[in-house]
Amino acid sequence: MAKSMSFVVGVIAVLMLLHAAYSTIQYRALLKITEDEFSGPPFEVLLELALVLVLSLFAGLTVPGNFRSILPDSDENRVVSLPANMNFMIFNHRGKAFPTETGLKLN
Amino acid sequence: MVSKTEESQLQQLENQVENGGGGVWEYLSLVRKLKLRRSDKVLKHGLTLLNDPKKRSALGADEWTLYEQVAIAALDCQCLDVAKDCIKVLQKKFQDSKRVGRLEAMLLEAKGSWAEAEKAYSSLLEDNPLDQVISMRRVAMAKARGDILAAIDWLNKYLEIFMADHDAWRELAEIYVSLQMYKQAAFCYEELILSQPMIPLHHLAYADVLYTIGGIENLQTAKKYYASTIELTGGKNVRALFGVCLCTSAIGQLTKGRNNEDKEISGLAAKALEKDYKQNSPEKLDLLASTLKTLKL
Repeated sequence: MAKSMSFVVGVIAVLMLLHAAYSTIQYRALLKITEDEFSGPPFEVLLELALVLVLSLFAGLTVPGNFRSILPDSDENRVVSLPANMNFMIFNHRGKAFPTETGLKLN
Repeated sequence: MVSKTEESQLQQLENQVENGGGGVWEYLSLVRKLKLRRSDKVLKHGLTLLNDPKKRSALGADEWTLYEQVAIAALDCQCLDVAKDCIKVLQKKFQDSKRVGRLEAMLLEAKGSWAEAEKAYSSLLEDNPLDQVISMRRVAMAKARGDILAAIDWLNKYLEIFMADHDAWRELAEIYVSLQMYKQAAFCYEELILSQPMIPLHHLAYADVLYTIGGIENLQTAKKYYASTIELTGGKNVRALFGVCLCTSAIGQLTKGRNNEDKEISGLAAKALEKDYKQNSPEKLDLLASTLKTLKL
């Protein structure tokens, strides 16, 4: 749910970016008619671009998933035990003297 | 490598499976992924999966992996009949497969017919002299027969070829420790730290070995490695905390208290220990206090 929400936000941000580009083109066309120099996009477009930046940043950070911890002592990364060395497993251990549940059978 | 999250996940799944709550396949997969030795549980729950034709066919191709896993677990539990049946099924499916051949040799090993197992492994090695797993089985077999020196020999030969195999280095280190050959064990742990520097348990084991060897320099180094373990675990490893305390105490005895810079770190470790004990087992707090007192911290 939250993911699709931020995905929608991302789509809106892209649409807004297109809108900003379109407005700038229109503005330049207008300047050509009034024969003024183009010194930069109008203030409204700059504001829209700033908003797009924020929204797309939000979408880009939330849609792909959660961050992973890089700290060595976080629960995800802290190694608490090593794998049993299964390749070096030996079978004549004390378990031989205490056979586990009999009656198990493969049908 | 079993991380803390994986450990708690496994614990939860194990409880669930033991109480008949389902999730058997997930549990068995996790055990396989983490390479744990839970033979009795794998045997019991794996067999219930295998004996249920519906559940078994739902696994698809993973069915054969499960047969192998259960076969090895059965060998470990000395349920040789079950193991034999599983291997027979696998043999029918995969004729002249090396992997099944290995399982058969392992069955011979579990029966205790060493000569035949040895013969089987040799013939398998003839086909593929660089088969890692079979070389490892030979080491294990020497160990099982109580011929530790031969096991060391084989393992050294193996490590000359596969130097990057850290599991083998760990095995060698453990064998050396069991024989009290600490210098050699320390070398193995150095290799392990070099190849996997972010695993605190190697640092810890190395520090243990150095502390056991003794001598002022080794104790200093051991203290440093205990400290690095603490750093890597964020102070959640009680053994490392105790290790720092023991090292400073031993250094203090050797230098007769001339060395004052250690007081701070051991004090911090003692404080962390007290906090940990207060949180997890308050009834043993007195015991800890008296232990720390005898260490003169």
